[in-house]
Order: sequence, then structure tokens, then C-alpha cells
Amino acid sequence: MDRSLKRHLEARLATHLHGPVRQFTDQTEIRIEAGSVVEVLRALHDDPGLRFEILADLAGVDTGNVMQVVYHLWSETSPDWLRVIVDGLSRDDPRVPSATFLWTGAEWLEREAYDMFGIIFEGNRDLRRILMPADYTSFPLRKDFYLPDDAARSPGAGSRQVERPHAPAVVADDPGAGIRRAPVS
Amino acid sequence: MPTRPNGAQPGKPEKPTRPVTPGSPAAKDPAERPAAAGVRGGAHARTGRAAAAAAAAAAGVRGGDHARTGRAAATPATPAAPNPFGSTPHGHDPEAVRARLAAMPRPSADDPRILLDRTSDADLFEPIPPYPTRTEREAEFYSLGDGEMFLNVGPQHPATHGVLRLVLKLSGEQVMDVDPVIGYLHRGVEKICENSDYYHVIDQVDPLEYVSSLFQEWSAVLTFEKLMDVQVPRRAEYIRVLTAELLRVASHTLYMGFLALDLGGITPILYSFIERDEIVEMLAAITGARMLFNYYRIGGVNGDLNHEFMSRLGDWMSRAAKQTEANAALLNENEIFVRRARGVGIMDRHMALKMGVTGGNLRACGIAFDVRRAHPYSVYPELDFNVPTRQEGDSLARYLIRVDEVRESIRIIDQCLHNMPDGPIIAKLPRLLRPRPGRAWGAVEGPRGLMGVYAISDGSDQPFRFRIHDPSFMNLETVPHLLPGNLLADTMAIVSSLDPIMGGIDK
Repeated sequence: MDRSLKRHLEARLATHLHGPVRQFTDQTEIRIEAGSVVEVLRALHDDPGLRFEILADLAGVDTGNVMQVVYHLWSETSPDWLRVIVDGLSRDDPRVPSATFLWTGAEWLEREAYDMFGIIFEGNRDLRRILMPADYTSFPLRKDFYLPDDAARSPGAGSRQVERPHAPAVVADDPGAGIRRAPVS
Repeated sequence: MPTRPNGAQPGKPEKPTRPVTPGSPAAKDPAERPAAAGVRGGAHARTGRAAAAAAAAAAGVRGGDHARTGRAAATPATPAAPNPFGSTPHGHDPEAVRARLAAMPRPSADDPRILLDRTSDADLFEPIPPYPTRTEREAEFYSLGDGEMFLNVGPQHPATHGVLRLVLKLSGEQVMDVDPVIGYLHRGVEKICENSDYYHVIDQVDPLEYVSSLFQEWSAVLTFEKLMDVQVPRRAEYIRVLTAELLRVASHTLYMGFLALDLGGITPILYSFIERDEIVEMLAAITGARMLFNYYRIGGVNGDLNHEFMSRLGDWMSRAAKQTEANAALLNENEIFVRRARGVGIMDRHMALKMGVTGGNLRACGIAFDVRRAHPYSVYPELDFNVPTRQEGDSLARYLIRVDEVRESIRIIDQCLHNMPDGPIIAKLPRLLRPRPGRAWGAVEGPRGLMGVYAISDGSDQPFRFRIHDPSFMNLETVPHLLPGNLLADTMAIVSSLDPIMGGIDK
């Protein structure tokens, strides 16, 4: 755990942080909102005391309640991995600014997150499906996408059709019934 | 093979002719006779010889040297319907062939199945996306400039290392732009892992990087160990490093062979497979599998080193360094290889950082980023090895980095064998793992770069989110930036020098 990184982040990004800087074995975690992605990523990348130059990963997460985009960064200034969680994206229309202005390579990672979760990365000039076929309409890693043999979690209907039409069909009265939700917010 | 009775209609199912022996009741049956008599010379060659000879003895067989006698003995009346192949019982009939060809449908502009209603050559080469272009980049790519054409390579192309499809925009022999199309091997491993328990995930992630599956397992168990706060016994860590470095050698050796193969050299791949086979056989002695090992466990490894492994390893180590130099000399001193690899596909360090490239491809641009040193895990801090770098950033540098890494890996294996501690090989864990809710990220240095796993636990026995970061995915993303300006002939040399594994890219 890198205490100095925690102090530095708290001082530098105080206005953008949501909640405390959390630290685990070798990971430091901050939470921000979609509106401050550009400023925070630029500060992390450019600040001479931070210099997070390597984008190790970009992942989408569906917690069942909200969508998240998670960046993992590496810098030679710190022994920790830095995890930046963009929290609180709406599940109906998740939108985040693209990170391609800093890391061109984020383009495909964002395409993958779009493909799997339907997260729209504003500013990505090639945001189309990458792993699934071009005419596919669902977002497979969302928590309301059930595997055909995953009858235990579907809301009373047993196994359901996996591929959905363009507008997600509402099966039960409560559309979110049976969704596995993360207790980790 | 069943013989076709004379006069059989093409639509009707054929009845296999039973082998008829002289004197059997079947041969005397009058209903069987015309069929047996109609067996032709071609069928004679293809049928089982015994059956055909028996049939020929039973009734005259047309064709070959039996023709004359057969006609005299028992020729049935010529059936009215012509044979679909234009031949009659009397032999090949050119008139019938001509009539058949005349009756065949010809390609025509009127035929709705054939697209001939194009006016110019340029139209013929324009691939039309089956949908309107959706993004800025796609629209830019699918608009042809003056004198440009598209060329589709893959996904079933022997040089593309799996099911990679590249749509190339060419001007003459020069590549102007590339659109890699991936996803043909997508199996939804992340979703499957989110529906498997923690022990099960290990063999689900195994087939991703099928050339170096231990690294993929390692990244998963490393992340789970962080998630669950598991202490791995030191012996298990050493065994992990030992086996993983062996596999790194195998993977890099195979890379060198395939790179040479894509540049037209056949020999190196043969030597690569000798080395790689010895290593996977060695690992099979402790894991029981040659490719998908399923060997690492949360908290340790599945089996201890055994006698067969150690004896094979000792045998291999006695010649490994020398053999590596010999294999490398096949290419290092090969003028054709060096001249085709030097100066093509140049990636500068700025671009490599922006593209998120890791592994040997990044170190070939002069950036000494190796997860084993940059963010140490396992027992790597105790081991003595260098992180080789090069400045050129071209295909040759990417190849030479791999050669250097093989040398370093052999050093690490040697140290593991000398420092191997005694003790347990796996931590004691419950049968059903239910980690506390939380998040963890773990990354290891695979042969192709940073292999990361991000796992979220919700307290149940299955990971709530299981994210796999594959280095080949990022390396392949640089292709549209590396290829433009190069010649078509260098396309595969550049793609191959990046060492993409489609199993990992497509997940």
C-alpha cells in the first residue's frame, strides 16, 4: 500500500473524488463521476508526481443497479496499481467520455465495453461492435442477460431467449426482478 | 462404394449392388441381371475388386477387356433415359455431352443469382458492408480513393495465425489502411466464468491463450488470491515460476518458428517444434495435459514435481542454452530474414505507450516495462534476471527481444531449480470458496505482455464480474497503425511479429 500516493491523490483530485481513496493489498482505488473523467485522467497522466502512463485495462461493470467503467493504470512513481472507477452511470443510457484522447489504444477496449455492456464512449470515433456480430442487438455481459441454462436466476420464467429484440422485452412486471446485484456499491 | 445401375435417375437414391457370386440364388434371379450387367468399367475400378470380379463372372461386364465378350454374352436393351454423365452403355457419347452442356444454365446478367450488373471494374472490388457505415472511422475506411482497392485476407487464411480477418485497402502493392475484424472465436468466456465457481474458472480461462495457458491461469489465481487473502506456500510459488518460464521458452520458440514461416523459411519451425514438444511433454508429466494444463490452483499448484519431470528437465537444461543459440542462429544469420524484418512495422515508444502495448513489443521500443519487475508478484523479486530492451521497434527488434527473453528465462529456470524450497505445494482452502465482497486486480507478465484479471466478488461462490485483459488484443490493435505504407508482402510478417493469439483476443 502506497500511502504517499493516497495523500497525493487526495490533495490533487480532492474536488473530483467521490468517497475516500481506498487501498487494498497492492491496489489504490478512487471513484469519480462521468463528468470528471477527462480532468482526472489528464491529471493522472500528466502530473509530474503521478505520471500514470500505462493504461493496463479498461473494463465495464454492471452492478445490477448502475454501470461502471473501471480503468487500471500503472506508473513508475508508485508500487501500486491505480484503479479509477467511474461510478453511477445509468443502466438505461450509460455515457462516459472516451479515453482515446490520452490512450489511442483505449479505442478497442471501449469498443469491447460497448459491445458487452452498451456503454457509449463519447468521442470514440469507431464505437461499433468488436467481438459480437455486427447485427447483434443484445449486450451479453449485462446482468439481465441470462445464459439459457441459468434458469435459477431468471424471474420465474425458467429458461429464456438469450438474444433479445431491439427494445429489451419486459418479461415480468418488475423488469429488474431476479437480477443479481452487487452488494459492493 | 455402391455401383450405379445403368439407367438410374440422378434424383433417385442408389441401391447398392450386392456382390453376386456365381451359382448363388441372386445371380439366377432375372430381376438382378440387368443391374449386374450394366456395371461399367469405371465402376469396376472403384468397386471392391472381389465384388466386381464376381459380378463380371455372373453377367457380362461392360468396359475394360470384358467389353467384347460381355456384349456377346448378355447385353440388355439400352434404356431410354440418358445417363446424366453423358455416357451410354456403349461407351462415352460426345453428342450427349454436348447436349448436356447446351442444356446447362449459363451465367447471364438475367440470372438473379449472379451479380453481373456492374459496369466498371472498380465496382467489382468494392466490398459493401451489409449495413450502412456506423462510425466515422468506418465511413473513412470504406471510401475508396483514386486507384485504391480492397483486399480481404482471412478469416480462413493459413498465414493469419487463427481466425483473424484483415480488410486491406491497397494502392498497388502498398497498404493504405487496414480494418482488422475479430470475434470469430468469441466464446463468451467472461460470461461463462461469471457463472462458474471459483475453482471452475481456472479451466475455463485455460483455452484462451492456448500457446501459453499457464499464464492465463496464473493471472486468474493471482487475482483470486488477492481477493481471498490467501498465502501461497513458497514451494508452490517456485513451481509456478519454473513451469511458467518453461512455457515462456516454448511460446517464444514457437513464435520464432512461425515468424520465419511467414517470411518463407520452413526450417526454423521444425526445430521450434522439437523444443516446444519437449517442454510440453515435460509439463505433461506433472499436469497430465500437453496444452491446456489446468495446473495452478487458488493457493498453490495441483501436483508436485515428479521424477519424470525432473529427469526430462535435466536432460533439456543440459542442452537448452546451446540449442537456443543454434535455433536463433538459423534466423539471426539469415540474410533474407534480417533484410525482410529490419525496418518494417516500426513502432515508436510514444505510439506504443499510447496504444497500450505491453510485453516484448513494448520492450522492443526501448521501454523496460515488465510486470515481473514493474509490479513484482510471486518470487520474482528474489530471482536475478534482466529485462532486455531494444531501441529500433521494428519486426527484427521484436524478434530479437524474444531471443533475449528465452536466455533470461533459462537463467530463471536454473535459479528455480537451485533454490527450490521444500514444503507444501498448496494452501488449505475450503471446498466451496465464498470470498468477502470486494474487488481485486492482478496481472502477470505473459509471453505476449501484461495478462490481467479483474474480479469482483459479491460474497457468493461465483465471481460477480470476471474481466480478462489480453495483451494480444492490444498488440493487434496497433496493426492499423503499423501496416500503412508497407508492402502487401510484409503484412503477415508484421502481424506475425506482434505474436497475436486469436484465442485470447476473441475470448
